[in-house]
Amino acid sequence: MTVYLFIILGVFAILSALMVVFTKNPIHSILYLVLTFFAIAGEYVLLNAQFLAIVNIIVYAGAIMVLFLFVVMLLNLNKETEPHKSILRQLIAVIAAGILLIVLVGSLKGADTMTIKPFAQNTGYIENLGQVLFKDFLLPFEVSAILFLAAMVGAVMLGKKDIK
Amino acid sequence: MNTLIILSALGIIALFAEIFRFRKALFPLILLGLGGAFFFTAKEYNHPQIFLGMMNFDNYAVIFSCAILIIAFLWFMMAKNYFLQETSVTDHFALILFSLVGAVVMVSFSNLTMLFLGIEILSVSVYVLAASDKSNVMSNESGFKYFLMGSFATGFLLFGITLIYGITGSFDLASIHTQVAANHDSGLVIAGILLLMIGLAFKSSLAPFHFWAPDVYEGAPTTVTTYMATVVKTAAFAAFFRLFSTCFAGVTGHWTDVLWWMVVLTLFVGNVSAVRQKSVKRLLAYSSVAHAGYIAIAVVSMGAASTSAILYYTFTYSISSISAFTILFIVSRHKGSKDISAFEGMSKANPLLSFAMTVAMLSLAGIPPTAGFFAKYYVFLTAINAGNTLLVLIAVIAALVGIYYYFRVIIAIYFKPEQQLVPIKVGPLHRTVLIITTILTLLFGLFPNLILGWI
Repeated sequence: MTVYLFIILGVFAILSALMVVFTKNPIHSILYLVLTFFAIAGEYVLLNAQFLAIVNIIVYAGAIMVLFLFVVMLLNLNKETEPHKSILRQLIAVIAAGILLIVLVGSLKGADTMTIKPFAQNTGYIENLGQVLFKDFLLPFEVSAILFLAAMVGAVMLGKKDIK
Repeated sequence: MNTLIILSALGIIALFAEIFRFRKALFPLILLGLGGAFFFTAKEYNHPQIFLGMMNFDNYAVIFSCAILIIAFLWFMMAKNYFLQETSVTDHFALILFSLVGAVVMVSFSNLTMLFLGIEILSVSVYVLAASDKSNVMSNESGFKYFLMGSFATGFLLFGITLIYGITGSFDLASIHTQVAANHDSGLVIAGILLLMIGLAFKSSLAPFHFWAPDVYEGAPTTVTTYMATVVKTAAFAAFFRLFSTCFAGVTGHWTDVLWWMVVLTLFVGNVSAVRQKSVKRLLAYSSVAHAGYIAIAVVSMGAASTSAILYYTFTYSISSISAFTILFIVSRHKGSKDISAFEGMSKANPLLSFAMTVAMLSLAGIPPTAGFFAKYYVFLTAINAGNTLLVLIAVIAALVGIYYYFRVIIAIYFKPEQQLVPIKVGPLHRTVLIITTILTLLFGLFPNLILGWI
């Protein structure tokens, strides 16, 4: 049963991701992106990662997508202002991306014979996540504070007005 | 670890300097702090320590951290005057200090999460700094371009980390090494290694992932460009080599061929494009791309001597670059132009500037009495030991092309008719930086063992 659900959600995610690229209207693209995030969050739940699913919906589908919408509406992006890309460039992009796709698919082909780690029942629970985050990955957790501080200082620096 | 704590604390102090108005005291404080960080890092030499299984402060990490701190010290002396004219000097200094934290993490990681965090801390700070000249459109473009392309490259890096994690079940370098050796014929390993390589090649501007470099280097303020060409490049290559020598040295067949072609392409593109440049800043940007190609030769021909070759090359290249960029900064401020023609006939009135620029250019070109010669010599030696004779041949031809464009600057300085005999004013800090870098370039050229003996 879960396998069918997995496939359905996967197809849904891929289709809406394709729609993000193919729709002309930027607002529609963003709405399709929200759908993609919801589908991926569904996959997370199937993989027993409830916390990740919730965070994915709150942060990505919630906060970041609202930001996207704001930017698109403020800048008034629509079809006419979009710069035209030449056929040659599009062709190069398609070939490059196609080769990447072939490499990835080819690399995954041999993976089904690999031994998989046995599935632990409580893998994705918040309790275990906390254990991992504050015990094994304590140093990266703390170092990431510097990353966020640098990003905040940078944002303020770029945003503030220069006093002459 | 002490290095990380001192640098982060300095960064936070720099932020407080704006609030509590001790901006004047900040600069000596930073130099003092960098000196302290250097002292505490150097003390850990031969005392390898592992922190929580995430950072391995072995001799490799200690030596590269020390090199980065020395370069940063010189950079601060060079950049002080530029940033004092800006209003937000403290923010700039704080961002640089935070990015130094990222650089130290990048040379000492023993876990892929730390590699990712180090690269991001370094990059995010430099994205902002590249755009820090807010009223200049070029600077805005530079920051934006670097940010977009950099995030894209980080995507590839993350994808690579994911695939490697998928097959090894671990982020730890040592266990990745054993697991990769056990599953060496799996397609996932190959794809993971290649994606990681793309991400890191972007950060170290290897062709064909170098397209951002000339525009970003040209658009960013000259001081920030200097930082990108020196500290960022050193950290990127240190991380590149640390990752590939610890994890993927057993499966060289999967990636050396690809990197070989990337090196050849980088040498070709970097040197040939530099020939056609009028602007010295853009010339140095392309030369920086070309130098990335030379350094990557030591990564392709991975062997016992590669580490010292990379250390020697990155360090001496950084020192010569600081010298060249400082002079470019002084001259372009005086003449209002970054073209080669701005340098014409400056030898009579400015003997110190001309001599320092000549030494820097000779070093970048790789002419014997300077450090640049031995840098190339040791890199080529690793390649010959690994049997990459063809690569050495190509690199020598590329170096000959390089001599042509470096000498264009020297010829402009000495052999073109004088346009004005007004001496260019050089501040005491800049004078000190130039004297130090010139002496170091000659010293390391005469006694290369001063660096090589450490690793």
